[in-house]
Amino acid sequence: MTLSTLEKIRNAVKQRPGILESEKNNGKIVVGWFGYFIPEEIIHALGMIPVRLGRGGDERLVELGARYISSQNCAFIRASMGMFADDSDPYLRNADVVAFDNACMQIFRLGEVSKYYFKKKTLFIGVPRNPYSIASQTYFRNEFENFTRNLELLAHKKLDPLDLADSVDLFQNIRDVTKEIVQSLLVSNFPLSWKEVTEVIHAGYYLDKRNYLSLLQELLREIESSTKSTAQKPQEIRIILSGSVVAPGDHKIVDLIEQMKGTIVRDDLWSGLNPSLQMHIEHPSVSSIADAYLSRIPHYTLPCIEKDDDFRFEHLKSTVLETRAQGVIYHTIRYCDSATFKTTGLKNRLRNVGIPMLEIHTEYSDSDVEAIRTRVEAFFEILKMQNESGVRA
Amino acid sequence: MSVEYPPFIYPEEIKPLILETDDILFSDGTRVTPEDIWHFMTVTGPKRFPFAFSTNPAFGHQLSRDVTLISGIRRNYLGMTGIDRLRKFVRNGTPLILIQGGITSDIYQAAGCISVGPMFLRGWIMSSQEGRAYKNANLTGASILEEARQNLTFECCNLIANVALLKTHDLPIAGIAPCLCSRCSDMAYAVEAYRSESDKIPTVLIDYPTNHEDAIWRTEYLKQGLHSLVNQLEKITGNEVTDDDLREEIIIQNTARSLVRECEQIWWSGKVPPTNSIDGGFAHLGMMGAFDFPVANQVLKETRDELHSRVKDGVKGYGLVDDPARLFICGSCVMPNPNFVDTKGGVLVGSDDVWSSICMDIKESGDPYENLATAYASLPYERSTEERAKWTIEQVKASRSDGVVFMYNWGCNYQSAIAGMITDIIKEDTGLPAITIEVGELTRMESLEQSHNRIESFIEMLR
Repeated sequence: MTLSTLEKIRNAVKQRPGILESEKNNGKIVVGWFGYFIPEEIIHALGMIPVRLGRGGDERLVELGARYISSQNCAFIRASMGMFADDSDPYLRNADVVAFDNACMQIFRLGEVSKYYFKKKTLFIGVPRNPYSIASQTYFRNEFENFTRNLELLAHKKLDPLDLADSVDLFQNIRDVTKEIVQSLLVSNFPLSWKEVTEVIHAGYYLDKRNYLSLLQELLREIESSTKSTAQKPQEIRIILSGSVVAPGDHKIVDLIEQMKGTIVRDDLWSGLNPSLQMHIEHPSVSSIADAYLSRIPHYTLPCIEKDDDFRFEHLKSTVLETRAQGVIYHTIRYCDSATFKTTGLKNRLRNVGIPMLEIHTEYSDSDVEAIRTRVEAFFEILKMQNESGVRA
Repeated sequence: MSVEYPPFIYPEEIKPLILETDDILFSDGTRVTPEDIWHFMTVTGPKRFPFAFSTNPAFGHQLSRDVTLISGIRRNYLGMTGIDRLRKFVRNGTPLILIQGGITSDIYQAAGCISVGPMFLRGWIMSSQEGRAYKNANLTGASILEEARQNLTFECCNLIANVALLKTHDLPIAGIAPCLCSRCSDMAYAVEAYRSESDKIPTVLIDYPTNHEDAIWRTEYLKQGLHSLVNQLEKITGNEVTDDDLREEIIIQNTARSLVRECEQIWWSGKVPPTNSIDGGFAHLGMMGAFDFPVANQVLKETRDELHSRVKDGVKGYGLVDDPARLFICGSCVMPNPNFVDTKGGVLVGSDDVWSSICMDIKESGDPYENLATAYASLPYERSTEERAKWTIEQVKASRSDGVVFMYNWGCNYQSAIAGMITDIIKEDTGLPAITIEVGELTRMESLEQSHNRIESFIEMLR
């Protein structure tokens, strides 16, 4: 069953490039962005159009990008560089400026290299590695203030506090509705799969934000009117997907999980739900927005050096408990060091609390699909056996 | 078919030249006479570290055969006996701190600690058994590297993988305090991987703000990080670190950096290269100070004087061809095999990473934290890639290079990302040939033929 609102969202995404182009022709400034710490609220409040960029799953773009950046960079970075070289992505092509944050140091390099070869106007935001110190907070506030000043120069206007308050409300509403929709995945006869929910989240990268919010609200109403039961499906394998970015266009892992009758009940991804979680902007000011961005679940590119402060692990653990997931599939893209280096430690720590984890290390080529299928199948077999015996590993 | 390479032996004829040199007086009061040095380099050293005397052409850390460059032999002595001094530090309770990144040793030394890089971890394990010949040392090193990788990830670069050894070996590291995000994206995650499963060793995070806009808050943030580092080091040692302690250490290490710069300028000024590529690698002594900076300064002065005299007399480094192709190296922590470069008609005239820190001068008066942060924030190697390329071009021109090699080790995705961009900028500005070479040999001693082939072809092209 396909929900009618989902179809509406799909149609809106199809039409969006044309609309964006005409908005741009009418003088609107489009700010494309890569990363995780770009304050869309501020871009929006200045009357600009924020568009999150980046695509996955396309080997051709990976090859193209590797001509400019290294083959030692992760597939997502190479594909993103390939987008610049290819110049066919309507969102990137229409971007007047591209913003990058350096939470992921490879994304920072993507910004530097694309700026040099493709001459796009580029802005950067520095992200502190340890979000918990006063010095980090001050630094990050300054980075946001600086980013805002640069945007104001482009917009030829100052940031209006009332506009900012409106934008902060709008984005908070989007996050709230997104969380409600994702929460519904726990319902057994939920009419959407995780893949479809993620498609909806990714639609938010591109669509006009007010239009997107009303579509999300409509979708939520439709979901609520169609779901009744909270009982778990028999023989269901409930999975949490964590790890590297799963960018729009990257369906390999998700398709495999769904083909093997696994159900992704929640993700722990920054291309999925995580940006909507634990984000509380106290006041509609640039400093407060900076504080809120920094106080989210620690992003996976920021190393947790203090063991006691590893809120990321605590978040994953509590998500498993909340969703009654049977295991975690930890997806790492080749050369995504920030995710890959964590694998052994994460697996050991999850094992210590009785949560099985499977790492899938891959890139966008299809050459390893069958090998991954075998591993996922074996993992699910183990989980099924544990399910039947009622024992966790 | 195996080929036996005879070990390198210092000829007896140079002994009188060694004996003419001064004693070395270490900061702990230990005095080493020239006789001691000669004995170590000809008797003790070859027994304890046979591999270090190997003449296998694949060996990237061969001793220089330029036996009349006496300061070079004394530098080799300091290098080979470093492990003994570290053992002594450990015995005496001086904390060893694991670091990484472009920031210098000033703070660590001022706090009464000794800073060591990730390579130390493997070196310490290997040094538990002496008398290893070349093959054995290579196999042992490779085996330890493999163990480290299995505990971390096979995608880690050879150097940083060593951090994983902290989980499986009892290593004398009292603190882990690398400067994150400067030059290396692997170190942060390697430390995190260690920390996620163990809290045996305290970990200090010094963040290097990589957004390169010339902003005062960037330096202020770095300064706060350095304060935090000193606080943590004080906890480890139990001793207070005063601003005067820092200023004193900055003066000592500024001297080392200044001496290396003098040496390099003299070297570059020679009509012919005054040393071969192995002996040209004196910058490390100014960076790590052989764990005793006053001693490093003494030997750097000797190096400067010898270089000056050679340049004045037009002496060419031993083993170099006439008019060798001058190569400037940039990239990550790996260098081409210097002996191989010389043999094929080239010479290494400089490299960017250590040189970047050497070029930094830290203001000696005033707030030492402010001065250190300002200096670190301006490190050329850590600047935006376009700015770094401009600085590299200046060095390429100053060293009268004929070509540029951007070399990076497999697994280094932060430096490799900009290899093409930097070489393109250099080519466009200077018109010089520039090449990027990915290698896998960092810390390895064998299977280097592919990178050798590429270096050889590049030198042939330049000549």
